[in-house]
Amino acid sequence: MNLGTRAVLHTVRKWKKTLLVFCLLLAITTLVLSGLAIADAQAEQSEDVRGTTGASFTVSRNIATGGWSSDGSGGSYSTQEYLTNDKLESLAAVNGVEGYNASIRTILCLSDRQGQWLEQMNPKGYALVDCQFYSYGCINSKYHSLFLSGALVMCEGKMIDSSVKNGIIISKDIADKHGLKVGDTIQAVNTPLTDDKTMGLEIVGLFEAVADNTDERNNYNESSYYEYTNNAFVSEAAMKNLLENYADVGYSSADFFVNDPERLESILREVQNIKTINWNNFLITVNDEVYQNISSALSDTGTLITTLIYVITAVSMALMILILSMSVRSRKREIGILLAVGIAKPAIVFQYVLETLLIAAAAFPLAYLFSNQAAGALGTLFDKAAEYIIVTPEHFMLVAAVGSILLAAAVLASCIPVMRLKPKTILSQME
Amino acid sequence: MNIMDIQNVQYTYDGKKKILKGINAQMEQGKMYAILGPSGCGKTTLLSLLGGLDSPASGQILYQGDDIAKTGLASHRRSHVAFIFQSYNLIDYLTPMENVALTSKLPPLPILEQLGLTAEEAARNVLKLSGGQQQRVAIARALASDAQVILADEPTGNLDEDTAAEITAILKDSAHQSGKCVVIVTHSNELAKEADVVFQLQKGNLQILL
Repeated sequence: MNLGTRAVLHTVRKWKKTLLVFCLLLAITTLVLSGLAIADAQAEQSEDVRGTTGASFTVSRNIATGGWSSDGSGGSYSTQEYLTNDKLESLAAVNGVEGYNASIRTILCLSDRQGQWLEQMNPKGYALVDCQFYSYGCINSKYHSLFLSGALVMCEGKMIDSSVKNGIIISKDIADKHGLKVGDTIQAVNTPLTDDKTMGLEIVGLFEAVADNTDERNNYNESSYYEYTNNAFVSEAAMKNLLENYADVGYSSADFFVNDPERLESILREVQNIKTINWNNFLITVNDEVYQNISSALSDTGTLITTLIYVITAVSMALMILILSMSVRSRKREIGILLAVGIAKPAIVFQYVLETLLIAAAAFPLAYLFSNQAAGALGTLFDKAAEYIIVTPEHFMLVAAVGSILLAAAVLASCIPVMRLKPKTILSQME
Repeated sequence: MNIMDIQNVQYTYDGKKKILKGINAQMEQGKMYAILGPSGCGKTTLLSLLGGLDSPASGQILYQGDDIAKTGLASHRRSHVAFIFQSYNLIDYLTPMENVALTSKLPPLPILEQLGLTAEEAARNVLKLSGGQQQRVAIARALASDAQVILADEPTGNLDEDTAAEITAILKDSAHQSGKCVVIVTHSNELAKEADVVFQLQKGNLQILL
């Protein structure tokens, strides 16, 4: 009788032992598969967070090092250099920078087609300044800090980029208040009653202000200027036209978006190595608070899940070795008999390995079926939606392969104490 | 021709207590040998040495002229000898037929029937058989193998008188009719009387009584 037949007969006829090992393996494998699926969902979520939150850094004039000059009317202004287009381009060329925005900030007066000044939103009842809207001439509004921070979100239309020549984005509240919609044209002028140019701007998009009271600027109460819904974003080309009476000195600051926040540090090192920029004149501010907060929480959960998988595997292996050791010890008589009839020790050990693998061959696929349900339920403990936790065939293959190796190792370890004995010693212990 | 040749075999427990003090003996095919001796005198140890379950401290055990220590103990156990134990030592998750099939590729039922088991008994769990039936299965396992030497350790020790007589007859037949060399370790004078040669093991020395 070969060892395969013996293994099958033992597995079938010693069904209580088989059932015990089967249940244990089923539970362990289900837990490990679930753990892997949750860990993967966690990693995927982290990846998503990295992609969606992103991170940015702002390069701005360092007023403190630039010196000051008198404006001739009792005031003073900074003589620090501005960010010019060539500087912006060299910053944008750094590997890992996905895009950037620099803004020309001014207060525009907006009116409808009929020349009626648009009235501001004033939900907090602050000092009302008619028709004057805090406006940003944007290279790419998508990367404007107010959109990157999430204080504002687009609800209709599109962002402003270099393809938009005479476009404006206003708040949905202002649009609703004045019966405006995407595609309508409104009039804009920097300073009315002067020779500043008045231009028609097409509304290309509408935004909603979602910043709550935790937002610092949302708590300003000096003026309705600071009300987010009274902001407007104008295409850069149009803004330059509107401000043609004023010197084009460059930009005070620019925001650069990085799609992989994990790389932010290395990107900043590269940025600081740009030789054409005198870094004594500019400051870099990192804006990755959202990512850091979320990723820190995700990282903690990820570590917890990974630790749990290791602990479950280690405890399970210890339990398996204990059970298998007890099983081997209880089979000392059988080992003695098999040795006495001339069956070699390796063949006996291989029979025991085969028996365990036969049980595993039944337990592993069943665990695969169960684990999708179990993973969903366990995932809720880690605030994961069940539909995102999927036990994949790759998980199964990994657990089956590693599990089989570990089981074989556990059987070998369990057999060592008995197999080191001489056949006579085993048989005399039996007697 | 001698099938087993014991040459100046010594054995000690823990390197101190000398159990066998230079034993010499020869055994032939077709004969039944009995080894008598008081408890703890080393009878079972001698049987283990003959069966390759252990190695002597010094001396040689030859099977058909070859030193079993050199040809390999596991190989000796697999090909040359078969054991019958007092406590039967059957594998409890196998039927009698499957226990016999452990050592033989021949159909096990005829030999079990020859030893008095029915087909239904031969397909039962071995633990559901009586002691005598279990010992018959153990003998069948030994006879079904190709082994030319059968080593029996108190084979009738757990059996009643009638069954013991039947088992003794079977072992005797194995020697005389099947041409096996049967070596029995026993306390029983009744069983020893049936042997062709009787050895007495006492104080580490082996002497021929008959």
